[in-house]
Amino acid sequence: MALSLNYDKNKYGHVFNIQQFSIHDGPGIRTLVFLKGCPLQCSWCSNPESQKPQPELGYNSNKCLGTNKCIRCIEVCITGAITNGTENKITIDRAVCTNCLLCVDACPSGALNVYGNLMSIDQVLKEVEKDSIFYTRSGGGISLSGGEPLSQPDFAIGLLKEAKRRRMNTAMETCGYTDWAILNEACQYLNLIIFDIKSMDSKKHKRYTHVSNELILENFNKLCNKYPDLPKLVRTPVIPGFNDNETDIQAILDFIKDKPNVKYELLPYHRLGTPKYEYIGRDYPLGDIKIDDEKMNSLKELVEKTFAKE
Amino acid sequence: MSSCCVLSPQEVRLEEELKGIEQMYGRERAFKILKEVQTYRRPIIDVERAKYFTESMKQTEGQPLVLRWAKAMKHIAENISVYIDKDNLLVGRAGCPGRYGILYPELDGDFLDLAIKELPKRVESPFNISEEDAQLVVEDIAPFWKGKTYHEALAKALPEETLKLTYDPKDPLKSRFIVNETSSFRSSLQWVHDFEKVLKIGFKGIKEGAQKQLATLDPFSPVDNMEKRPYLEAIIIECDAIILWAKRHARQAAEIAETETDPQRKQELLTIAEICEWVPENPPRNFYEAVQSQWFTQMFSRIEQKTGTIVSNGRMDQYFYPFYIKDLEEGRITEEKALELLECMWVSMSQFIDLYVSPAGGAINEGYAHWEAVTIGGQTPDGKDATNELTYLFLRSKREFPLNYPDLAARIHARSPERFLYEVAETIKEGSGFPKIINDEEVIPLALSKGANFEEAFDYAVSGCAEHRMPNRDTYTSGCAYINFAAALEMTLYNGKMKLYGDEQLSVPTGDAREFKTWDELWNAYLTHQTNFIKHAFIQQHNIIRLRALHFAFPLGSALHDLCMKNCIDLHQPVIEGGINFGYFECIGYGTVIDSLAAIKKLVFEDKKLTMNEIFEALECNFEGKEDIKEMLKNAPRYGNNDEYADTIGRDIDRAALEFTKDYSHELGVHLDLRYVPFTSHVPFGRVVSATPNGRKAWTPLADGSSASHGADVNGPTAVLLSNFNTKNYNFRERAARLLNIKLSPSTLVGEEGLRNLVSFIRTACDLRLWHLQFNVINKETLLKAQKDPEGYRNLLVRVAGYSAYFCDLSPDLQNDIISRTEHINI
Repeated sequence: MALSLNYDKNKYGHVFNIQQFSIHDGPGIRTLVFLKGCPLQCSWCSNPESQKPQPELGYNSNKCLGTNKCIRCIEVCITGAITNGTENKITIDRAVCTNCLLCVDACPSGALNVYGNLMSIDQVLKEVEKDSIFYTRSGGGISLSGGEPLSQPDFAIGLLKEAKRRRMNTAMETCGYTDWAILNEACQYLNLIIFDIKSMDSKKHKRYTHVSNELILENFNKLCNKYPDLPKLVRTPVIPGFNDNETDIQAILDFIKDKPNVKYELLPYHRLGTPKYEYIGRDYPLGDIKIDDEKMNSLKELVEKTFAKE
Repeated sequence: MSSCCVLSPQEVRLEEELKGIEQMYGRERAFKILKEVQTYRRPIIDVERAKYFTESMKQTEGQPLVLRWAKAMKHIAENISVYIDKDNLLVGRAGCPGRYGILYPELDGDFLDLAIKELPKRVESPFNISEEDAQLVVEDIAPFWKGKTYHEALAKALPEETLKLTYDPKDPLKSRFIVNETSSFRSSLQWVHDFEKVLKIGFKGIKEGAQKQLATLDPFSPVDNMEKRPYLEAIIIECDAIILWAKRHARQAAEIAETETDPQRKQELLTIAEICEWVPENPPRNFYEAVQSQWFTQMFSRIEQKTGTIVSNGRMDQYFYPFYIKDLEEGRITEEKALELLECMWVSMSQFIDLYVSPAGGAINEGYAHWEAVTIGGQTPDGKDATNELTYLFLRSKREFPLNYPDLAARIHARSPERFLYEVAETIKEGSGFPKIINDEEVIPLALSKGANFEEAFDYAVSGCAEHRMPNRDTYTSGCAYINFAAALEMTLYNGKMKLYGDEQLSVPTGDAREFKTWDELWNAYLTHQTNFIKHAFIQQHNIIRLRALHFAFPLGSALHDLCMKNCIDLHQPVIEGGINFGYFECIGYGTVIDSLAAIKKLVFEDKKLTMNEIFEALECNFEGKEDIKEMLKNAPRYGNNDEYADTIGRDIDRAALEFTKDYSHELGVHLDLRYVPFTSHVPFGRVVSATPNGRKAWTPLADGSSASHGADVNGPTAVLLSNFNTKNYNFRERAARLLNIKLSPSTLVGEEGLRNLVSFIRTACDLRLWHLQFNVINKETLLKAQKDPEGYRNLLVRVAGYSAYFCDLSPDLQNDIISRTEHINI
């Protein structure tokens, strides 16, 4: 599916993954729809392929058979962006590549793939509804994720609206960095919002995510005022050197604890997304760091003090 | 340990179990018994059963078969060694202490001598047999059976075209693994006795019933004289035999008690003596006696004949319940005491080895695992939910004492209570894979449609791996065919021949597949072979039904069956008035065939990315140097992903088989229905199939049961269930069990929420009317295997909130990180 810029953004959007049997992002057994594009650029991002709004070529060298066995991609590449690299693996010159994606079609092993397919609302929901019998029993449904789903506002809202019309349970993960008008509209079609608050310290926030946090916190306040009954799950990824300390977490807890229908969850840092940086030809900004288990436990205790466990 | 101590898989499993149990639980008695068992390093082949059975059969030649069988049982009961196990509260075993297997020369007597002769020479053999015993087998037992076994008779009876798909025509001891018969290595397909009858009236009651019937026979009737009389006499002898066997235990226990110095054990032995004096002759008076009575019946049944996967235990939580609740109410028993008794039974089960004498190698094989399924849950005969306190006790036992025995089977239905499903889910979460789940919402309507009444259908018991039996209504005991559907695929490619068997024309010629121009040509050729195989399976079955009746009798099973008693006819006879015959034939390699056909259809005939020639080249060299072709084939639509393209092909394969049986099974007087329950046969059946167009290498295992090919299901467990649903033809009643294994990562099950999701998942499987479900919780070992074999595990998902990845896509460093964390936290 080649990149297309002219499409009806009300009906179509770029989706980079649809994942069934998701059980960590909202109640029950859910299908997670990952939308492309994100206004933030978090240094720990585990879905780096989500950040750019347009489709993007990925190359997983582990899956590649090696140029000693297969050169189908090199043969079809019009621009010469793909060449034989070291250790029988290919090199992609991304400056030359025009994203025509002929190589993806030619690749037998799926080592070359595209992150981001243009899909209609109906196509997405057709996929999502395949598992509807599981939602019935589990109270699950559709969850939008990303990237930042609201970076494709018309598509995301269109999806939620239509999902609601089809009597689906809806949830959305958001970084909160968007126009209030957009968030406001999305909330009308949500059963649950999962809202990331990464730090109360604006400068630090900007350093690690490329944006400051004022808009995010303002949106969260508005959200709580306007939709007191909407269940809200606030999540904080705990990142070593960024917010893995009691001061940062306590500040977040103080901000949210008296707000209506709020639950809170810490997500321990993990490095599972690191291979994907390589797939899209980027370096992992955080390098080799690890979360300290003891620290994580003490932060969890802190949270439990404020939010008694269910 | 020296290298001569190669452990069988069963031993390894037991040792692993022991390790785990030692660490976790303080169940003193059961643990002591297991420890004791372990001191006998290797399992022993005990020849007594074969010896006394043969001795008696020598004396009774010419008499009615059922009578001969009962007399043989009486002879065994009189002479076989009787053991009182140390520490155990239950008694009754079919062989010497430790782990043991017994021989059934009526099945394999024609080659038993060859197998046994080899044994002392084979250092790596996992079994021991004493020199005298080996000599006895070679000189006395085997020679008598030569020329008399069922196996030999069947090989002679099969027409040539059928024979060459079944055995090597030059050596009928060698299976072809194309259209295999399984009737010659067991006297009966899986089976369940009406154990409740023993508990209600005892063998004394059964005997008295037979005596009464005997008195009412027409003294002038030739049928009554020649058929009914010997049958009833056989039943009486059989009842006497089991009672005698039990009483010998009573005497022995009393004798040992006399010299026992430990006062507690002395008292236990005196109790055992008292109980064995009373049951199974009489109805038990309490829970302990009920358990002992059932155990005697079960063990005597094992001695009597080899039932496929061992005779199952039926609905234990139902028939033991009145005894349990009465004892509990009257203060005679506690939950803990009941658990101790049940667990004495589980450790006794684990000592029996289902010994198969392998015809292929002329050597003794390790015993296959046995599935003496204990059924729990389900519905009462009047259609209400059946779970009770005992149901939960069985689940607790499995959680706290995770031995592989018994095979616990939970019946679920639309109204199964939350507590039951939560406890089932919790037990699964423990990771032992138990219980397996059988779905009333699929099993019962099918049983009804095939002639059962509601009462019987609601009261079915799980039997064997995934089947069911309705005691007193089911009358079919015949072993059935295992059909290699992947071989049909190979013959489609090679014009009715197979690489392994060279130039031999095994199936009908369907032309050179390289020349096929359309999908329809390929599909029709495939169907020709599939149908041809089923045709020969049915021809086999015709012979099997006729010949088994001449070779096998089942007096114990008949004594416990209302219809056999009413008609005075042995259970192994083909026609028993009022019975329903549920039989099966097995599809092996389902996922392999679907994926192969889907790949060719898509890549050759639709997308035209490959030619038939290119596929053939890749197959011929087993994909060596053709990795790109292999990858293309593997990335085509595959079964197990809720992908309509592949699933449609699966449904068509299924339907073609169903149509055949719809047309012809009535001629056999049997519902010979399509089943996908592989046992472990997808491994040996894979060994005869060369490389297949789903990217599978030559001689490697086929897809098992109705599960996806190894690693092919990459869309998670919901897609696996839906593909299973999609490929079933719900408009046919000719369908039967489908075995489905689901892999779950532990993170799926974390906390209360994880449990809730698993319950929902199981309920959805129930809604989908899937027959069977069993879970494997991924553990450290799985991940280590995945590191070594990424191709086979490319469906392995690592899930955390907001993110998931395929395990095999991660770097070794990250993989190791996950492996080291798996035992503590979620992946």
